[in-house]
Amino acid sequence: MTEHIIELHDVSKNYTRGVETVHALQEVTLNVSKGDFIAVVGHSGSGKTTMMNIMGCLDHPSSGSVILQGRPIEQASESALTRMRRSAIGFVFQQFFLVPTLTVLENVTLPALFSGNHTNGRSRDLLEMVGLGKRLNHLPGQLSGGEMQRAAIARALVNSPPLVLADEPTGNLDSRNADMIMELFEQLNRDGVTIVLVTHNADIVKHCERTVHIEDGRISQ
Amino acid sequence: MTFFKVALSNLKRNRVRTLLTGLSLAVSAATLTVVLALDRGYSSAVTDDLVNKTGIHLYITKEGCPIEAASVIAQGGLSPLYVEEDILARLATVADLEAILPFKLFAVTTDDGSRTDIFMGVTDAILSMKPDWRFAAGGWLKEDDSVVIGADMAQIEFLQVGQRMYNENFDREFTVTGILERTYSQDDGTFFVPLATAQAMVQREGKLSAVGLKLADISRMDLVQNQLRALMPADYFVLGSKELSEGILQFFGATRAIMIVMVFVAFIISVFGIINTMLMAVLERRREIAYLKCVGAGRLDLVRLITLETTSIALAGSAAGALLGMVLSPVAGNLLRTFLVAYVPSGPIARPEPMIALMAFILCSIVGLACSLYPALRAARIVPMEVLRND
Ligand SMILES: Nc1ncnc2c1ncn2[C@@H]1O[C@H](COP(=O)(O)OP(=O)(O)OP(=O)(O)O)[C@@H](O)[C@H]1O
Ligand SMILES: [Mg+2]
Repeated sequence: MTEHIIELHDVSKNYTRGVETVHALQEVTLNVSKGDFIAVVGHSGSGKTTMMNIMGCLDHPSSGSVILQGRPIEQASESALTRMRRSAIGFVFQQFFLVPTLTVLENVTLPALFSGNHTNGRSRDLLEMVGLGKRLNHLPGQLSGGEMQRAAIARALVNSPPLVLADEPTGNLDSRNADMIMELFEQLNRDGVTIVLVTHNADIVKHCERTVHIEDGRISQ
Repeated sequence: MTFFKVALSNLKRNRVRTLLTGLSLAVSAATLTVVLALDRGYSSAVTDDLVNKTGIHLYITKEGCPIEAASVIAQGGLSPLYVEEDILARLATVADLEAILPFKLFAVTTDDGSRTDIFMGVTDAILSMKPDWRFAAGGWLKEDDSVVIGADMAQIEFLQVGQRMYNENFDREFTVTGILERTYSQDDGTFFVPLATAQAMVQREGKLSAVGLKLADISRMDLVQNQLRALMPADYFVLGSKELSEGILQFFGATRAIMIVMVFVAFIISVFGIINTMLMAVLERRREIAYLKCVGAGRLDLVRLITLETTSIALAGSAAGALLGMVLSPVAGNLLRTFLVAYVPSGPIARPEPMIALMAFILCSIVGLACSLYPALRAARIVPMEVLRND
């Protein structure tokens, strides 16, 4: 039996907007196995981000259950959730969210700081890996978009999470930089990291071994 | 990499804001230090003058209220009530008194209002009351028209020993017999003349402002005070110099109240300023904070981070302010000297002791830290979902 790193069971998510209720996700069931490389695709507003947030324990489902590494997250306290996120999941967003006043190296080390690790040896190695070995002491403002996203990926990996969730990581990048990022994800996946990424880009889907289509809050295949 | 490093980098993000926040606390700390130094300093300077330095332990007056008495005795204030000279005969019978100084004190403002001269009619007894007095030139009073002048008066009037001095208010001429060395007290600006001369100048022959008494043994103070009360006519009062200085300190009460209000206002302003700026600093990077939560920052981590930011400003600002207060309080003391309506003491008015600066520093740091709590809690309450807000 393959081990599931995260499972969604009949997950629905409703948002109320004024009088109207938006069914952003409807009874979605999805198992992500260790080592998966999944692309989530679908039209704008179909519920991709909503699903990613629920997978990342950033948001609670309206109904259904989420099981992260064998543990249901419904009953988990906020501090338990924080710990689970910290050790299990790395996030990469379309916006890079680098702290502008910290150097690249410091930005990457930040998640380690919150888990009580003050050393930066791993951050250096990761930045080396993403090709920013010579930019350690630059400020984010001195980097290009592609470089910032590579720094953000290094940061997502610093606590060695088994799962990386990336919501449109190449959305702000040109195709050359997008390819570079995708090659990085492929390499990570080869090294055993499970990756779920949202994209609009058909070229990118080709890199992924499994594709999940979402339409009106439902998985269509 | 440490939390402190992250906090510092956040402070660098908006240097002007950080500087202003620190400055507002520095102003509070400096004001507090100055006010405490002045408050402490004035009290001890007055007490020094009236209790510790003068040999006068008790006063006989007709004013029951120590504040009124203080204004008459310390500044030559006008009072319709006079001590009769014949009281001295009764005092002479008291064995415990080492010296008895009857005096007549009055202040005259020049016609153009530019200066107030203080005349004090005294007897030789004053020499045993003021053991610190030294003559810069000449010596003690000799004739009825003799005058001994304080250091300031000698300087202002260009007077030397042996010179004649004319006073237009009283149309009188005096001969300077002595010039006192500077005492940094009211004596520096006083003309000392023989008692009878002073009484004649204001047509109050046989009348005194008050009588100062020096005790042979200060431990018998209560006893002597009671003995004197029994001896004096019913409308006379026996005041300890302590009560007198307390009377003067009550004059100072209004000035003190203003200073305390100043400190209070400075504090309120900086408290709201700091809360407001830190809150802005938090809300302005809520997405970033939300992202920190995504990457594993717990509530406590954020509280720690934000309080660390504020605390760094608070500590730096308070320390700078307390030091500034130490440096400024002598200046403020001299300024206060020129504004004081009450008694101007001889010693320094400001006493910027390290304990005062330390107190101001600690208090302001605590205030700064307290100000950081609300913004810190707001930061902790930001949910990771905020990262996705589209605005
Ligand atoms: N906080 C919210 N409040 C109300 N409605 C919301 C909220 N978040 C999302 N929605 C709605 O839920 C639906 C799904 O949104 P979601 O962001 O998951 O779409 P998406 O597939 O990520 O779209 P895109 O490709 O444009 O990023 C949309 O109709 C959206 O308007
Ligand atoms: Mg989306």
